[in-house]
Amino acid sequence: MTETSETTDCEAAPADECVRQVLVANQLGLHARPASQIAREAQAFAASISLSGAGQTVDAKSILDVLTLAAGPGSSIEIRASGGDAEAAVEKIAQLFASRFGEK
Amino acid sequence: MARAIVRGISVSTGFAIGKAVFVNRRHHAEVPRQSIAPGLVDAEEARLRAAFAGVEADLANARDRIPAELSEHRHILESHLMILKDPKLCGAAARHIRELGVNAEWALEKAVAELEQAFGQLDDLYIRERLQDVRVMGDRVMSRLIGAVRSELAVEGRVIIMAHDLTPADTVMLEVGKIMGFATAQGGKTSHTGIMARTLGIPALVGAGELEELVSDGDLVIIDGVGGRVLVDPDEDELAEFNELADQFEDYQRRIYRGCQLPAETIDGYRVQVLANIELIEEVAAVLDNGGEGIGLYRTEYSYLNRLDLPGEDELADKYSDLAAIMSPRKVIFRTLDLGADKFITSFGALDEANPAMGLRAIRFCMQHPELFKTQLKAIARASAYGNVSIMFPMISGLREVRRAKAKLREAQEELRAEGRRFNPDMPVGIMIELPAAVMMASMLAEEVDFFSIGTNDLIQYSLGIDRTNAHVSYLYQPLHPAVLRSIKHVVDAAHQAGIEASLCGEVASDPFCVPILMGMQIDCISLSPQAIPGIKRIIRQARMGECKALLRDVLACRTVGKINRLVRDTIFHKYPEELNFFASLLDNDDLGG
Repeated sequence: MTETSETTDCEAAPADECVRQVLVANQLGLHARPASQIAREAQAFAASISLSGAGQTVDAKSILDVLTLAAGPGSSIEIRASGGDAEAAVEKIAQLFASRFGEK
Repeated sequence: MARAIVRGISVSTGFAIGKAVFVNRRHHAEVPRQSIAPGLVDAEEARLRAAFAGVEADLANARDRIPAELSEHRHILESHLMILKDPKLCGAAARHIRELGVNAEWALEKAVAELEQAFGQLDDLYIRERLQDVRVMGDRVMSRLIGAVRSELAVEGRVIIMAHDLTPADTVMLEVGKIMGFATAQGGKTSHTGIMARTLGIPALVGAGELEELVSDGDLVIIDGVGGRVLVDPDEDELAEFNELADQFEDYQRRIYRGCQLPAETIDGYRVQVLANIELIEEVAAVLDNGGEGIGLYRTEYSYLNRLDLPGEDELADKYSDLAAIMSPRKVIFRTLDLGADKFITSFGALDEANPAMGLRAIRFCMQHPELFKTQLKAIARASAYGNVSIMFPMISGLREVRRAKAKLREAQEELRAEGRRFNPDMPVGIMIELPAAVMMASMLAEEVDFFSIGTNDLIQYSLGIDRTNAHVSYLYQPLHPAVLRSIKHVVDAAHQAGIEASLCGEVASDPFCVPILMGMQIDCISLSPQAIPGIKRIIRQARMGECKALLRDVLACRTVGKINRLVRDTIFHKYPEELNFFASLLDNDDLGG
């Protein structure tokens, strides 16, 4: 049982901006496979999307950037998107975290 | 005399004359910085984005046309596409255009350089692989920007493809019918270009470092796949000479091809099994066409490379069973994973090893990852229900290792039994003999297994203590070194004393001038690249066992490589004059050694 304590805060944020906190729940953390899933999904959205954790903020659409966000299992990540499809983008990326990137 | 001669490593034999066409020239720092007037910045950015979009369309198109059996290549293209859309590349270059008022080429060069600086120091295999993708994609976009690109190779007449390096992305876009040969500045013996060229039956050189400096688009060039060189702007005499050679080679190939389905039997009735080394299942067609009597070495690494996840048991079992069924009743020998040293699984990454060739590789790696190993063992065992399947373990150094590997196999078979799956409980189990320790232990190891397969490439390297890819010592790579010959003979004798088969895979098996010596040792079976089979079968069919044995005796009496090579030349070169013209023998690399 892992608790995915998510807090979505799209209403309080400025228009077109959406923020959500997620947990890295998969065993290996944000390594190669999860990182490329994030970048690939993020690239499909028009909104700009960032991930923040451990005092570092990276562009979710850049595989190289996401890889440097050394987020181990159990760490907390903030997804922030702004632009027309910001909400859908945050939802999609949060889903990847929730599904533990398909790891069993 | 030709205007210039560029030397390279031949990875596919033959001769070709044609026009040079570059597909991806590497652009060095020569991109000039130009200022863009404020009013034209938007247009410049649009030009940059159009170039990115053009490359993206090419790749997406190539990805959609990849045949199912080459699906491994799809992962490479997907990864390239992801980099093209990476804002750190395209976005950064666009920002430079706007903020600095510079030309798109310079902005792109700067963006690539910044990425290399920011990420190049990080010690992470996956990041380094992506940086390599950044360079490849940067070059492609650059070619579009400077107008040096044809998206699809709509080439006139017959051409010779020149490149910095050929990636699978490049090769799937080539219109193969018009290509006479390949030459690349980078790459080594095992690069993708070689596999491609041998499959197409055209000559290819790799590692021809000076190619990009000395050859221009449209130059008339000759690829000499025997001598390992490109002749740039040849003169009349050279053209005539190579035209003649190309004709003779074609004629020779037609003749050997006609006889390739005949058994490999000497005039005096000694039979050798001639099997094929393959890496991809689609090579099976070439094996059968060229008269291969089975698969002596199926390299299983390819399914594990260039992807982020690991193949599952079902995926592997399907693939392996297909191969076993297609080849049945012919033999297929599966070599278990030989990873490490120069090939790695992305999700495990490269280890920080000072000396990877002597590090955690092959059977050692598998023993440290028992789940990964068991998945493969179960898949191979499942395939044994569909054909004539054998298994062999690479890099075995002693008894304990082979016993542990066999125990793992039994464990896998027990699990299959419990799951109610079919398999052949008597599947032959063999080992590769590639370490000097295994040579010394051969008679004891022979009691544990059903066959030996001598891997000469590694055995030579470990016996002589040289890294053949190291240019400083590669002249010492001597297949006929007295120590190497004695090792091979010792292993074959030990196998025969124990009543098991001795097989040999490695480049020596495809060298027309080494094979008669191996036959003198009464090797049971040789395994080589499919395209080399017709030529080697012909050598065997023209030989007499008595002569081979006499040759071996004389060779073993020589104390130096130089003497052995001269002897081989004198006694067998004259017997096979055509092969002398058409093959770059391993022996050409000699006379320097003691």
